[in-house]
Amino acid sequence: MTDEQLKTEVEAWLAANWRGTATHKESFGRDPRAEWLAKVRDAGWAVPRWPSDFYGRGLADEQARIVERAFAAVGAPGAGQDRSNLWANTALAHATPAFRREIVPQLLAGEVGMCLLYSEPGAGSDLAAIRTRADKVDGGWRVSGQKVWTSGAQIADYGMLIARTDWDVPKHRGISFFFLPMKQPGVEVRPLRQITDEAHFNEVFIDNAFVPEDNLLGPLNGGWGVLQTALAYERSVMGDAARGPRSGAAGPKGDHALIGLAREAGKLDDPVIRQQLAQTIAWRVLNRLNTQRAKAELQQGTSSSIMSLGKLAMSRILHEEARVRTLLLGVESLLEGAEHPRAEDANFLTLNAYFTSIGGGTDQIQRNIIGERVLGLPKEPEVDRTIPFREVRAG
Amino acid sequence: MAGLTADERAALLDSLRRLLADRCAESDVRRIMASETGHDAALWRALADLGVVGLTVPEQHGGAGLGAIELELVMEAAGAALLPAPLLSTAIAAALLDGERLAALAGGYSIAAVAFAGRDDWTGRGDVRRDGAGLAGTARFVPDAAIADTILVTLDDAVFAVAREDAEIVPLPVFDRTRRLADVAFRGPATLIGDGTRIAAARDIALIGLAGEQAGGARRILDMTVDYARERHQFGRAIGSFQAIKHMAADLLLEAESATSAARDAARQVAEDTPARAESVALAAFACADAFVRCAKDGIQMHGGIAFTWEHPAHLYLRRARSAAQLYGDSDHWRERYVRALEVEA
Repeated sequence: MTDEQLKTEVEAWLAANWRGTATHKESFGRDPRAEWLAKVRDAGWAVPRWPSDFYGRGLADEQARIVERAFAAVGAPGAGQDRSNLWANTALAHATPAFRREIVPQLLAGEVGMCLLYSEPGAGSDLAAIRTRADKVDGGWRVSGQKVWTSGAQIADYGMLIARTDWDVPKHRGISFFFLPMKQPGVEVRPLRQITDEAHFNEVFIDNAFVPEDNLLGPLNGGWGVLQTALAYERSVMGDAARGPRSGAAGPKGDHALIGLAREAGKLDDPVIRQQLAQTIAWRVLNRLNTQRAKAELQQGTSSSIMSLGKLAMSRILHEEARVRTLLLGVESLLEGAEHPRAEDANFLTLNAYFTSIGGGTDQIQRNIIGERVLGLPKEPEVDRTIPFREVRAG
Repeated sequence: MAGLTADERAALLDSLRRLLADRCAESDVRRIMASETGHDAALWRALADLGVVGLTVPEQHGGAGLGAIELELVMEAAGAALLPAPLLSTAIAAALLDGERLAALAGGYSIAAVAFAGRDDWTGRGDVRRDGAGLAGTARFVPDAAIADTILVTLDDAVFAVAREDAEIVPLPVFDRTRRLADVAFRGPATLIGDGTRIAAARDIALIGLAGEQAGGARRILDMTVDYARERHQFGRAIGSFQAIKHMAADLLLEAESATSAARDAARQVAEDTPARAESVALAAFACADAFVRCAKDGIQMHGGIAFTWEHPAHLYLRRARSAAQLYGDSDHWRERYVRALEVEA
């Protein structure tokens, strides 16, 4: 099929079927647009890069992008899931044939809610140190432990779970990856109140919950490898996770919002402020230029080391922008509440900057990754890498 | 102006890098630094033969007819090698000159130094002014003036050419001996060669070239530092395995990559003459200056004692970074200009 034929076909299909407008959706939980998404799935537009006998069309990347562009042009959701649907891609790559046939169509239509059960109170940066256990029983496993930083746990039907299935081998080699059914006794979800006074995350307490045999993804004790696939998709989904001001109403927007805020605060003539505005705005613009250059280099087939820098760059941008906002406000930043939206913004952004500088790998872990994978510096010696996990010191 | 294809561009840069590796190695840089003029005529000839000297000179005047994008890339390579040669001065002069003067420049037979002496310029150094039909006063800190046969002077609305014998050129004792500076006193005779229309473009060329030089220098000193951190062992481990070193290296990579992005973006905005031109040039000016200084400074710290010695090249990069950070306005100046450009939009 030529590009032109494909474009004609997808546009005609959208013209015949797409009536609505896209509603906002959180990344987690059941999708309110399930009926539309099922239609997209059945027409083969959801995952066109996948094989034609499994919801796809076997298209090459460039043609798949034609489909995505056609959907984007009319604002229709559901395309491009072969790049963005963390859950479906993980299941496609690693689930048993039977479970894959059952779960993947539901995932593509957003008919099941999902959550992530990775981090634990004792396993944050050192994720392979998880202590949630899955013990073999007839027909499956019994799971016990505690997970944290789980979004959407209340409405999830399944959690993508890593749990320890062998305690007598080194830490990376005794982990397995499961789709844990969430709606069962033994799974208790408690909201976690954040420093921003929001509760996007939960703690999940798991006590003797059951996961069937068929819900194991990848080999037993091979969960660390499955997790790497899943994390790669998650990073691409979360690429632009940084949020703007919460109020959404207060003040100017965009890269240069700080200029407008300074003007409103009557401080745009202050030479000290102007220096800080320039530097802070520059960091954001430089990050965008880096990303543009990385994309261009990737398109030319040269590998780019810049992509890995974006998250670290964004941490500094967010912390510094919040600092400068606070500087512009002065004592007004001591206040909060709906009457003081600018203060709300500055204070929220100050606290929420940690979402990026801690979440998804702290800045310190990120620097390790850049140092080791990009610059080729040797790893720190790891004292627990080769000894049985049972003997690893914790606490 | 015909641009190059990606392959042609890569071939040009590859030839330049090989020439620099061969003729501008650290030992050559040190030899040229120690010489009286700080100039290697044979190296300059080789650069001219390669077409790099006349890079931005139009083809009908014997140049390569290329623009800001290629100049920036060439300057990255030159900066990485600490090339002590009047490459940037020549590119700026090419933006101010016409006709036969251009041909001599492109061929490498004439060297022109440029003194930016307008009111709006960053330097504010010296007191050059019109004197009848000529010039009076002194331009300070003029790069490459001592080896130039012609000094070009830009005022607010005029460009003058002054023959070296009509000026008094006093070389300055410079901290960065890879970039020679001189004070130039004018005694009257000067030829008016243009109005002010080309000055802004010449100033952009100066800033883009310098930004490229800084980005290239930042990346090279970072690479040297990372190589050393992989080799050097203390406490039975490569020092690069310590997070104290590794984290500094990661931060420097962000600075160096950002500098490269900024310099290349500014070159593109200028080449395409977009509305973002002033803004992106100002951004490159301070982002590249600060990145180079930081990479060079931290590079020495990360090396430890070895880089505190004269024999180690790291200090040559710090010297170059510090001279570049002052040459055409300091970072505070360009941050202020950046905000001014943004204010218009916001």
